[in-house]
Amino acid sequence: MKTIVSEQQQFPRFRIGARIEHVILLVTFTILCLTGLPQKYVESDIGAWMVNLLGGIDTIRLIHRWAAFFLIAGSIYHLFTAFYRMYVKRERMRILPDLQDAKDARDTVLHNIGVKDDHPKMRKFNFGEKFEYWAVVWGTGVMIITGFMLLNPIATTSVLPGEVIPAALSAHGWEAVLAASAIIIWHLYSVLVKQFNPSMWTGKLPRKQMEEEHALELERIEAGGDPWRRVEPRQKKQRIRVYIIATIVFGIALLALTVWIFTFEETAITTMPPVTPEVFVPLATPVP
Amino acid sequence: MHDRYRQNRDKLSIALIVLIIIGVLATLLLWPGLVVAEEQSVDGATVWVKLPEPNAKVAPKSQSDEPVHPPTDLACRQCHGDTEREIEFPSGESLPVVVDLESLANSAHGEQSESPLACNDCHAPVDYQFPHEPVTEDDLRQYQVARSATCERCHQQPHITSHPGPESENAVLCTDCHGAHDTLTTVQLQTGEGTGACVDCHQQREVGLTDSVVLSQLIRDGLFTDSPDSDYCLACHVREDLTITFENGDVVSATIDRDNFHDSVHGADNSWQQLECADCHGKLSYPHEPIEATSYRQYSLDSNQRCKRCHEPNFEKALDSVHGEALNEGNIEAAMCTDCHGAHDTPPPSEPRDRISHTCQQCHSTIFDTYAESVHGADLLEEGNPDVATCIDCHGVHDINNPTTELARARSPQLCADCHADEDLMAKYDVSTDVFETYLHDFHGTTVALYDPDDPDALVLTAVCYDCHGVHDIRPVDDADNSIKANLLVTCQQCHPDANDNFPDAWTSHFEPSPDNNTLVWLVDTFYAIVIPVTVGGLGFLVVTDIFRIIRIRFFKKDR
Repeated sequence: MKTIVSEQQQFPRFRIGARIEHVILLVTFTILCLTGLPQKYVESDIGAWMVNLLGGIDTIRLIHRWAAFFLIAGSIYHLFTAFYRMYVKRERMRILPDLQDAKDARDTVLHNIGVKDDHPKMRKFNFGEKFEYWAVVWGTGVMIITGFMLLNPIATTSVLPGEVIPAALSAHGWEAVLAASAIIIWHLYSVLVKQFNPSMWTGKLPRKQMEEEHALELERIEAGGDPWRRVEPRQKKQRIRVYIIATIVFGIALLALTVWIFTFEETAITTMPPVTPEVFVPLATPVP
Repeated sequence: MHDRYRQNRDKLSIALIVLIIIGVLATLLLWPGLVVAEEQSVDGATVWVKLPEPNAKVAPKSQSDEPVHPPTDLACRQCHGDTEREIEFPSGESLPVVVDLESLANSAHGEQSESPLACNDCHAPVDYQFPHEPVTEDDLRQYQVARSATCERCHQQPHITSHPGPESENAVLCTDCHGAHDTLTTVQLQTGEGTGACVDCHQQREVGLTDSVVLSQLIRDGLFTDSPDSDYCLACHVREDLTITFENGDVVSATIDRDNFHDSVHGADNSWQQLECADCHGKLSYPHEPIEATSYRQYSLDSNQRCKRCHEPNFEKALDSVHGEALNEGNIEAAMCTDCHGAHDTPPPSEPRDRISHTCQQCHSTIFDTYAESVHGADLLEEGNPDVATCIDCHGVHDINNPTTELARARSPQLCADCHADEDLMAKYDVSTDVFETYLHDFHGTTVALYDPDDPDALVLTAVCYDCHGVHDIRPVDDADNSIKANLLVTCQQCHPDANDNFPDAWTSHFEPSPDNNTLVWLVDTFYAIVIPVTVGGLGFLVVTDIFRIIRIRFFKKDR
């Protein structure tokens, strides 16, 4: 009886800020995939069918751009929460990869195939989660940069050679394929298929999953360690004041930049020039 | 154990010997001509027929040879009434020799008819002694031509229509319409039976008379039958001083050029369908009734109804066309049948091929002048090139649609691709066939490919082929005066007014990415061609090992 209770015991894992970021990412990423990939595979029947289903090419491009806007806004929000943890709370960046992650990956495979008896004991973020995080950072970066180029080709070519535009189109499409397949194969398997991982919704993870995936973090907490770093209230108050000012200034600047990305260039004309050639001009003397 | 093996082996040996014996017997029995090939049972009697070897050359029989069997209908019917034999031609075609005795009996020449014929009335007896001589024709059609010659022995003035005769390439034979053993009567043809054969042929050639009901009606009405022949009318109408004066003052010559008329597709000197004056104009009497139309144009438009009688499908298409629409809106200048095809001097409309574009030139002269300078027009008009696009290849023939609609714009790339993605055709001119695919992969092409024709507000705002290459003034891409390569920026600026010097390089110029062309795109593609499989493979490997772990723990660790 005691073991069951302790297996179900919940351990803190994600604070509310991280969970909001995840929801923003989940929604925008899904919409971007659904509206973007059909554009890449427009020649396939499924691609064309999806485009029609979602309201036609002009509509899905509009949806795609709005979703991109919110993804960028979400990314900015993430920068601010990261800044908060680093400046106000002075937390270590536990998401940074190191050599231990490579060893954990190796040991996990060895354990999986039965060579090693024990699963490696992993930290707050295991190698798979770090890979996913940095894949998202890389992917979002590529997508924002290439997306900017595609949305503003004239501005881009005023600085860079023209060939960058079709290269950006190609990269934007392939990066989407890479991201979508990585999410489907790895993330969906890890958090849904293998075992449902509730931590992004409840913020907590049961002891059993902690043992399997974050044994070192579990040990640390059970040894009396605090899941989050505590800061002395007076000091915190001081830092927060600076943080808020910086956030407001940079927040407005970044948001303005984002809006500018989406609005500043009028790439092409929006109405076709009328074509009115004289059609009926009969010959004076008919040709035989 | 050993005994059972031996027993089985003995059984196998016996079975093998029996099989060999059966095989030898079968070979002997079926050896061509060696023993017997067919057993026929007629009225209970068994007739053994010794057949000649297939393909064996039989020496022509001299006149003095005695027939082996008397050539009577009874004898013919005994074999030909029920057989699965076929005549095989050197061409590979075959013709079953079976004759449906019942339909033969009911045919125009059957036992019940007014003019019954025996088999050898048509199949000349000297040729049809038994065993029959091998067929000498090389193919089925030649054979049919030779057999149809038989009809002329009685029907010495064949048909009043001048369907091309046996000497022509497109010969239409008596039997094509009237049938062979199931010969149709005139009455049957008039009631619509058998006109399907005519319709099939006319449909194939996309000329008139494609509805058997209409055809039957025309036959009933007396088209193709004896009527005042054209020479009767022409006796007056070759005179050069004949004019018709319409109510509005139009004075029009009523002179018909006899030679032009006979040369036309409906004339006597062609291999198509000869029409007499009365076939179109009705049985006019002299003096003629006054003309109802008040102007020459109205008279021409009314006359087009005559074409409809035989050419209804094309007539209907034309009514729905941009010309038909204009006419419907009250523009009586809009072209109808005779404006393009002529009235009495109707030539084959696409011979020579440049006639097509010259026809359109009559009304669209400025567009023609532009077209004549283009890569297509110059090749057509100067060299008579059969491959280049004429007006109708893009605009259609009778169902000419409005080319300025969004739908036409959206569909235009496919129109160009019909020729320019055709590898065999383009190989002749060393033109790349990647143009369509590369266009589709580009932002412009993707957008056009997704155009929704059901959405009335949908606009095709991105460039289609002709926005860059020109519409009627399409020039070769390497042409010195060409505006595409030399002035690509100007071309881009038509739609992207702010485009700068670098901007045109954003277009891949229809090249598939390669180390030589669009290198940067090629590098990106290559990068992802490595990264995607490696990532997917690596993650897949982790997932597979994890699944293996779960299975291993669930099924194998329980014992521990």
